[in-house]
Amino acid sequence: MTALDRIAHAGRWRRLPLAEKALLALGLLALALILPPWPGAVLVLAAAALAALAGARVPPGAWLGAFAAPAAFIATGALALVVTWGEDGLALVAEPLVAVRPALRALAATAALLLLALTTPAPVLVKALRLPPELADLALALYRFLFGLLDTLRAMQAAQQARLGGAGSIRSAGLLAAALLPRALERARRLEIGLAARLHTGTLDTLAAEPAPSPRRLAAIAILLAAVAGGAAWLQ
Amino acid sequence: MHIMEGFLPVAHAVGWTAVAAPFVVLGGRTLVRTLREHPEQRLALGAAGAFVFVLSALKLPSVTGSCSHPTGTGLGAMAFGPPAMAVLGTMVLLFQALLLAHGGLTTLGANVFSMAVAGPWVAWAVWRSSRRLGAASAVAVFLGAALGDLATYVVTAGQLALAFPDAQGGIAAAFAKFAGIFAVTQVPLAVAEGLLTVVVVNALTARGVITEVRA
Repeated sequence: MTALDRIAHAGRWRRLPLAEKALLALGLLALALILPPWPGAVLVLAAAALAALAGARVPPGAWLGAFAAPAAFIATGALALVVTWGEDGLALVAEPLVAVRPALRALAATAALLLLALTTPAPVLVKALRLPPELADLALALYRFLFGLLDTLRAMQAAQQARLGGAGSIRSAGLLAAALLPRALERARRLEIGLAARLHTGTLDTLAAEPAPSPRRLAAIAILLAAVAGGAAWLQ
Repeated sequence: MHIMEGFLPVAHAVGWTAVAAPFVVLGGRTLVRTLREHPEQRLALGAAGAFVFVLSALKLPSVTGSCSHPTGTGLGAMAFGPPAMAVLGTMVLLFQALLLAHGGLTTLGANVFSMAVAGPWVAWAVWRSSRRLGAASAVAVFLGAALGDLATYVVTAGQLALAFPDAQGGIAAAFAKFAGIFAVTQVPLAVAEGLLTVVVVNALTARGVITEVRA
């Protein structure tokens, strides 16, 4: 499992109705995009981080760990915005602050995405998309195969390194990928045979019903979102 | 080349979602038809999608010293065809956003267009036409995978240039800038992905998993 997935499955907000978590996280995500980055994005970032840390009680270390990787990518992306292709190669732009706005917006949006990802397991979200049953099955099968394959890949990498395999060479990586794909397909085939042997014809859906959202909490979330938007307008 | 969550302005996020949506919807219809006729394929396709996701955990050496990962775009397009790849790619990108916080929901449309639409179509077209022109199987696979990988980064550079045009030179100058910056890591990476795909296809052929990639 990935760190995000583990927290989402075991977290305090796991059993809360999806509509409440989605309204909060996607509402903050929309605000991050719509509000002016200063002070809007800063308020959204604070609200999303607070909801995850204080509300859902995500361990601070885990939240920072999950936030660090995308933040590093955003920083690299922002660096690309402060340089320009001048007459003598790359040069700094006249106004380096132009990069701060998209970076702030992206950081706030990432915090909102994390709020959803850390409180709601991905299959719950896939189910809420109401895809055609064939595609929903496909997405759920993909999700279920992920973790087994990741473990297999790690074991194969360890085995390759233990045999002094050229870790990092294209040939080694290619052999790993080539060994993994037949294993993945074979696992799928065995599972299919197993299902067929049990005369399975239905869907792979195994999720329990989601609890109904509470109108009071939905209203409270809407008020919170309005407060963030109002606070941003006021501070500006 | 994932564009991170929130990096694109609203208009661009919505615009790219609208551009990518028809490809994903049409691919979805094709896939639903296939799965209705062959329901036993859904697990194999799910495993293949998971494989593409897991490929991104495979570190690949890059000539510049940086380390990056293959996209699996070319391999997927050659194996399943671009329409199916649009759907599988979208699912993979969605799970990457939700499970790794890599990419995002507002930038999903832009990322789907570069990695699950443009990349697979270019890879597939290059691979098909090279085979038709009489190129050896390995050469066609290499060209398809490498140029498909390259196409994803050219499209991403274009998306960023449209969103963040240069103050003086406009969109064209911004495109040159982003393409130039990415070229340092992405050109060697495209070559690496091309070679990797050839190694994978050769190894799969040697194991008898595939007889020969159909073109």
